Amino acid sequence: MPRTARILLARGALDLPPRRTELERALKAWLVALAATSTGLLSAGCAIERPEPPAGVLSVSIEQTSAWVRNFNPLLPAGAGRWPTRNGIYEPLQIYNGVTHRWVPWLGSEATWSDDLRTLRVSVRRGVRWSDGAPFTADDVVFTFELLRKHKVFDSNDVWSFLESVRTGDGQTVEMRLSRVFVPGMDSLLQQPIVPRHIWEKIADPMTFTNPEPVGTGPFTEVRVFRNQVYELGKNPYYWQAGKPAVDGLRFLAFPSNDQANMALIEGAVDWSANFVPAIDRTFVARDPKDNHYWSPLFGSTVFLYANTARAPFGDVRIRKALSRAIDRDKLVQVAMYGYTRPADATGLSDAYADLRDAEAGAADWMRYDTAAANALLDEAGALRGPDGMRRTAEGSPLRIEIQVVSGWSDWVRGGQVIASALREVGVDAKLRLYDMSAWIDHLQRGDFDMAIAWSGEGPTPYRFYRWLMSPETVTPLGQVAASNWHRFGDARAGELLQAFERTSDPAEQKRLMHDVERRFVELVPAIPLFPGPLWGAYRTRRFEGFPNADNPYAKLTPNAAPEALLVLVELRPKVK
Amino acid sequence: MGYALRRLGFYLLAAFASITLNFLVPRLMPGDPASAMFARFQGQMQPEAMTALRASFGLDAGSTFQQYLAYLKHVFTGDLGRSIAYYPTPVTDVIGTGLAWTLVLTGVAVILSFALGTFLGTLAAWRRGGLLDSMFPPVLAFIGAFPYFWLAMFALYLFGFVLGWFPLRHAYSYDMTPGPTFGFFLDAVHHAVLPAATIVVATVGGWMLGMRNNMIGILGSDYITMARAKGLSQKRVMWRYAARNALLPSITSFGMALGFVLSGSLLSEIIFSYPGMGYLLVQAVRGQDYPLMQGLFLIITLSVLFANWLVDITIAWLDPRTRANE
Repeated sequence: MPRTARILLARGALDLPPRRTELERALKAWLVALAATSTGLLSAGCAIERPEPPAGVLSVSIEQTSAWVRNFNPLLPAGAGRWPTRNGIYEPLQIYNGVTHRWVPWLGSEATWSDDLRTLRVSVRRGVRWSDGAPFTADDVVFTFELLRKHKVFDSNDVWSFLESVRTGDGQTVEMRLSRVFVPGMDSLLQQPIVPRHIWEKIADPMTFTNPEPVGTGPFTEVRVFRNQVYELGKNPYYWQAGKPAVDGLRFLAFPSNDQANMALIEGAVDWSANFVPAIDRTFVARDPKDNHYWSPLFGSTVFLYANTARAPFGDVRIRKALSRAIDRDKLVQVAMYGYTRPADATGLSDAYADLRDAEAGAADWMRYDTAAANALLDEAGALRGPDGMRRTAEGSPLRIEIQVVSGWSDWVRGGQVIASALREVGVDAKLRLYDMSAWIDHLQRGDFDMAIAWSGEGPTPYRFYRWLMSPETVTPLGQVAASNWHRFGDARAGELLQAFERTSDPAEQKRLMHDVERRFVELVPAIPLFPGPLWGAYRTRRFEGFPNADNPYAKLTPNAAPEALLVLVELRPKVK
Repeated sequence: MGYALRRLGFYLLAAFASITLNFLVPRLMPGDPASAMFARFQGQMQPEAMTALRASFGLDAGSTFQQYLAYLKHVFTGDLGRSIAYYPTPVTDVIGTGLAWTLVLTGVAVILSFALGTFLGTLAAWRRGGLLDSMFPPVLAFIGAFPYFWLAMFALYLFGFVLGWFPLRHAYSYDMTPGPTFGFFLDAVHHAVLPAATIVVATVGGWMLGMRNNMIGILGSDYITMARAKGLSQKRVMWRYAARNALLPSITSFGMALGFVLSGSLLSEIIFSYPGMGYLLVQAVRGQDYPLMQGLFLIITLSVLFANWLVDITIAWLDPRTRANE
């Protein structure tokens, strides 16, 4: 072919689209490859695992993470060790049952105060063995408390601030000698997880020990499987409660968020869960009304609206009362909590302290929604309305309030919106400000806030709760980090009452003192109670039974209560088909 | 070779600067790890525990400068310290729970997405106005514009929950022991399909559009006309002449994307309960876990720098012009 012809032909090709066949071939090859992979995957898809764990293995969803980190050290602050560390592997001397309000003897069969209330004598249960077969003795208890003394990190409840010595005479009883009379200290002493001396005395640095193969006295001690997405514990072969546990093992799947955990619960991959399930009646219960249940009693920490009493005008009790009266709590619990809780009463106590609640004090008028009364109180406190209808402080500057809430905590964010608009109704220029959690807690601890929505302290008795809210001992100057009493409120009289409470073990006297504290709280309004927190708990009875519920409230249902979950773990049993 | 070495010197300097920033930035955040951990327990932890926490994390040890020197020493000896959020597990162990999974899942997804997008982009530009060109870019741009969260949730719901073709969570089955067996490999691939596919679908449109636009520019240049005039095969002109040059800008972005692979893909990890670096990173920031944050940032910065260095070399190899001013 002449050279020109070749060029012309090539030129002609430029105006033509590229040959279709080539493109088609490429696409076809690609489609074939795609089809081949998808059929391969489809056939693999038939082999999808059954969601339910093997018979007898209880699947629990409590901690959220994308990958498990192996740590069963029970002495590190809560949260470092995996959940079963304090709820299955290691056990305390006694367990406080927050539902029945009784101490349940566990490794310590009996605990009594000496007459001067300076010594707590605990008899150690006989016949208990560690999961390696070695006998459990009073020496183990003494050794554990000595570890706490040696390593400050392990002493989360600061027991050595009131302890003088822990000794055993006969190997069967432990004598805990206190440096001062401090009855509430019993809570921390009796609920301390006990570790075996013969193992831990060989650990060079217990602080950095992750205890991968735990030896405990609890019902579930054998780590069968530990992988980044699942781990399983088997029964303790030597468990001291005859015939228990009836459950063969515990399985924990890794879920990074509530949504994934809830999907697993609905699907049947989880039997017992501590997560909040939105619209639980429709999404969970309705799928299997016979076997899917939940029980979320109001034993959780009460949620408060804290006003920084070290900042004007919140130091004035009339202002705090007025702000409380401006809030419609019935609406608040519907909007913020979808009606899963009820408005708090004036004592702020949740149902966990129902036995010590003074109903009369709880009915105080400043908890009732009444905008007229709120307006009157604000006027009385000198916060009068300006020409624009908005109030000014007694000094004449506009009354502006910033309410700090953690961004993304949608229940509190909704609550904050309800409160802010309620306060604007009575002429207070309130705004909701959202912060990242670390910034928010930093502001609270340093007292760098006007108002904030936050939780409150918990414990077996309301002692810690009120100490947090109004004891002069917990007041920290603005700018310094305060672990509790963020609103900086201290009352000398309340402090005295709480100190008197520390010095009595008589239930009648305790009740009388606590009622006095409650009345003091209601009079002074150190913080504004909003609603008691529900303890989320959901379970399926398709495979297991024996869960506590409203009809059989023998303990808290939520696995989120250490060490009370032990009470439930030994009662659960596989369902006989 | 000299060129590669000179670039290496520059990257070493950049690495040092970022190591220093790694130390400083987490400490500029408000709050501290003990408070963050205390806050996680919402009143269940007694206030006394804060003091114990502070002591255990060694937060009050030494001045910031002393801490910096200790940190430098540790970085060069490969000791990343102990995580605070997962105390007392070493940072290397914590990162180890997710590193390999992220590397495989996100790495494969990025490579697949790049290869597929580039391939489709080349074809689309070659047959401009054809079916591929008029259909794919708008459809992919449309899908890519959906929030990834929504797309992934939808895929999980449809293919996992409703149709049951793929597992709902995790990187492998509970009853499967990880190991170099064919069964485990198949199982892992089966688990990775949904997360990887959603990442590919969400990102392939960008690669395709980029490549298509570069190709169109290149196809108009004289040397392509020349190549055709020489009578070279269509295939050869398309791939060896046009695509090779059109690839250069894409290679740079690909290098960046590869470098960031190790930062994981948070949303796919959360939605598919997949282990990985993205979730660890968020946990570290939430828990003010300085050692873990430093460890993760270090790995990410080093991999970004390394990927960029590779890109520099690749470009120098693909494009002689970058070597011209030596």
